[in-house]
Amino acid sequence: MTHAAQFRGVSQVFGDFTAVDDIDLTIPDGKLTTLLGPSGCGKTTSLRMLAGYLAPTHGTISIAGVDSTRTPPEKRDLGMVFQSYALFPHMSVAENVGFGLKMRRVPAAERARRVTESLELVGLAHLSASKPKKLSGGQQQRVALARAIAIRPKLLLLDEPLSNLDARLRIQMRAEIRRIQAETGLAVVLVTHDQDEALEMSDEMVLMKDGRIQQQGAPQEVFPAPANRFVAEFLGYENFLTDPGGELTTIRPEHLWLTVGEQAPSASGGSVVSGVVLDLAYRGVDLLVTVAATDASGARVELLADLRAESAPDLTQGTHVWVHVPATHVVPLTGD
Amino acid sequence: MRTRHPIAASLAVLGYIVMLVPILFVVVTAFTAGSTLRFPPEGFSLRWFEAALTYTPFTSSLVSSLILAVISAVLALALGVPVALAIHRGRLPGKALVEGLFLSPLIVPELVVGLALYQQLMVGFGLDNFQTLLFGHTVLMFPYAVRVTGASLALIDPAVEDAARGLGASAGRTFFSITLPLLRPGLFSAALLSFITSFNNVPLSLLLQSRDFRTLPVVMLDYVQQNYDPIVAAISVLILAATVLVAVIAERTVGFARVFGGINR
Ligand SMILES: Nc1ncnc2c1ncn2[C@@H]1O[C@H](COP(=O)(O)OP(=O)(O)OP(=O)(O)O)[C@@H](O)[C@H]1O
Ligand SMILES: [Mg+2]
Repeated sequence: MTHAAQFRGVSQVFGDFTAVDDIDLTIPDGKLTTLLGPSGCGKTTSLRMLAGYLAPTHGTISIAGVDSTRTPPEKRDLGMVFQSYALFPHMSVAENVGFGLKMRRVPAAERARRVTESLELVGLAHLSASKPKKLSGGQQQRVALARAIAIRPKLLLLDEPLSNLDARLRIQMRAEIRRIQAETGLAVVLVTHDQDEALEMSDEMVLMKDGRIQQQGAPQEVFPAPANRFVAEFLGYENFLTDPGGELTTIRPEHLWLTVGEQAPSASGGSVVSGVVLDLAYRGVDLLVTVAATDASGARVELLADLRAESAPDLTQGTHVWVHVPATHVVPLTGD
Repeated sequence: MRTRHPIAASLAVLGYIVMLVPILFVVVTAFTAGSTLRFPPEGFSLRWFEAALTYTPFTSSLVSSLILAVISAVLALALGVPVALAIHRGRLPGKALVEGLFLSPLIVPELVVGLALYQQLMVGFGLDNFQTLLFGHTVLMFPYAVRVTGASLALIDPAVEDAARGLGASAGRTFFSITLPLLRPGLFSAALLSFITSFNNVPLSLLLQSRDFRTLPVVMLDYVQQNYDPIVAAISVLILAATVLVAVIAERTVGFARVFGGINR
């Protein structure tokens, strides 16, 4: 199987700060891979090394099976969309999109055809004569996308492409990028710090923290089985408790349920811990309940339960509750 | 402007008056038919303009001034642009120090620079005074060129240059097809500023003059010390007119705010 790109033992050291720390990463062909992680974890740095703007301090990067560690960006044949879009302000939309083709000495007629084709793909063919400044943020973004796609790159790199758009447009562009990826069959690497975006868009997601890869896999594999506490927290697992065997486990707030009563209920299919309601937050459909409890190791933990408001028991601050932890939803955490 | 405090507004108006009224006096006296620099002028005539344009020391020194200003502005840019690029785009260690260094000529008194050049280049190396002046003016304008070019370079998103590289343009191609066109207003303002600085310069030009090569301001200064007729006013008005013309051209081509905006940043 060929890979779109592969990092082997790649590090990037700035002075005495290691931004990317010995990563091994395989970008599959024809799929959308997201690099996901909090600010400063090294996503952009990794992308810039892949694009050739930064030489790795250690390690090698191969693109389509060829070692490209020392290849300058103009020889890599990658399409990159920058967070600031980075359109050429002194050129029209068509000239922007045609720039890469011009650099490749594609004849004018062929160039015009491919510019139109790329602009049609993003739905902006009618704006080809405009200057970038006249376009809205969403339109500029599409031009940047068309410009990157026009060169028929080996890989399409997107650095937080949606972070400058308003919420509605962001959701719309997620689907749009997915559609373009499917239509072109391109391998895409998308950087984001938004887990919803990553879950919705990825074929493959790569979670990073402090310059290291924490977990990689399809969203359907990663989401139900986070490898460690960091990944779990990042994906919205709020509850961390030690089970009777002494292992750290996690469970999502929507999987906890609460009952009230004097008698401890039977713990069939899981465990029950006793606790006291600390805080209630009504969210319309949901009711978020924070419970102070003690886990099996005797440690005091705060648990968050996300209940359906209409079927939740009557609760106020200080109510004694039983927190049911169904075993099927408990995820054991390994490592740190 | 309209929303400003009345006191601030009146101060601004006062400032303009203080600046413009003396110039107005010069302009009016230049058109006098009389033979002294007196206000109000006696009658109207263009005789002093004719006299100014036919007075050889003025015309030949004007040519000298223009040659000197054009060549030194071009030299200052040719040296300043690469330095500005190195400061803003290069991976120069100690960037701040280098940047500070290019600020320093702005605070060294020009008379000191002039004297140093006189001793070193003219006495020491035997350069003639045109070459020495060219060197002096270039040195004088070099930091301006670096700073003005640097200011407009700082406004260009480096990602734009990265994008061009990623699309297949070599470093050189990127510079000529992306950086340079985006830099054009900055270069224009740097050139204009350099030109005007050189053209108006007195201290260096005074110190390094010779019988064969004198700039217009020096000749004018000399003239005023010995004569008191409206010919100097006439030549001043001509220079003023030329300056306004340049400003209008600048406004029409790149926009005044963009040209002169670069200076303040
Ligand atoms: N040229 C540089 N010199 C020094 N440190 C740098 C440089 N570039 C990045 N860093 C540091 O490396 C770390 C990783 O940066 P990077 O831009 O890759 O983060 P990121 O994951 O993209 O974050 P964000 O979500 O904020 O964009 C940061 O702490 C950053 O300050
Ligand atoms: Mg980033």
